[in-house]
Amino acid sequence: MILWELFWNFFNIGVFSFGGGYATLPFLYHISEAYNWYSFDDLSNMIAISSITPGPIGINMATFAGFKTAGVLGSLIATTSIVLPSLVFIVLISKALRKFRENIYVKSIIYVLKPLGCGLLAAVGVNLFINDFLSESINLYNIAFLTFLIILSLRKKLNPLFYLLVSAIYGILTTTFLT
Amino acid sequence: MTKISLKDIYIRFFRIGTLLLGGGYVILPLLQSEIAEKYDCITDDDVCEYYALSQSLPGVIAVNTAVFVGYRLARTKGALAAISGMVTPAFLSIILLANLLTQIVHVPFVQSLFAGVGIGVLALLFQAVGEMWKKSITDKGAFLIFLASFSALLVFKVFPIYIVISGIILGIVLGYLKGRKP
Repeated sequence: MILWELFWNFFNIGVFSFGGGYATLPFLYHISEAYNWYSFDDLSNMIAISSITPGPIGINMATFAGFKTAGVLGSLIATTSIVLPSLVFIVLISKALRKFRENIYVKSIIYVLKPLGCGLLAAVGVNLFINDFLSESINLYNIAFLTFLIILSLRKKLNPLFYLLVSAIYGILTTTFLT
Repeated sequence: MTKISLKDIYIRFFRIGTLLLGGGYVILPLLQSEIAEKYDCITDDDVCEYYALSQSLPGVIAVNTAVFVGYRLARTKGALAAISGMVTPAFLSIILLANLLTQIVHVPFVQSLFAGVGIGVLALLFQAVGEMWKKSITDKGAFLIFLASFSALLVFKVFPIYIVISGIILGIVLGYLKGRKP
């Protein structure tokens, strides 16, 4: 049943995603491939909308993906099941915070999972890049614009709103004047 | 000083959730002004510690922090109130927008807008990877782990969950080896 699968998948994201909101993306990406609940293009829109709306990005994306899958009820299930593991873990950990933090196994697992989460997100980025740029005819303007944004980001950490605003304007201008 | 009530916890986290725009970068100052300054039993240092711990736990960082603070204030009930408050604004705004978006997504103007935004999203991801990289790639070993998980997902298309489980096993082995060394 789709609602149960939705619950199970998002519960797993809550258990296994490490490194914050964007770290849920590799899992959302996997779901889009495995279930067809939403498309690859939806995923890109989901990231954009989630980055400019109130609330933690991870929750926004879960709500959005749930909505795409099964409407408002789907959102409710996705959101509840992604936060459930946090609730359980932290209530358990809170009782013995210091012991937990200084545990050598916990330290080693965190040491491994941080770069691992980074690698997963990088792979999703490359996949989205392939999907946006290489599946259709290669557009030099778009590549130049992306390079420009990336150089900007290397110089200074910018608010997500900035990227999305500038690129929305770029999208409107290029379709108006170049086609 | 504010009396601790579940309603109060909910409202404070609802406010924090509403002001979290464009990523979690502003959560720390928000927690300091909304929580540490308002409740006697939680200090600035506590809030910073909870936030730091939340980053090294699975799940959404803002939600993890909410559970820590809520639990400290009023045990499990407090944690539930804090989570609900944190999640409500996100939930409402996405439901509204998702509804709207599915209706207007076929308008040519909106399509060209999102075609551009797709490029912005790539830059956004690049920046997010960069942030994680700075915090996680501390030595050669960490870099190898990065490479392994990157290629496992991109080239070999391994399920992300299996990749993470392998990582946890590797972590346990490393911990065991470290524990044996004097």
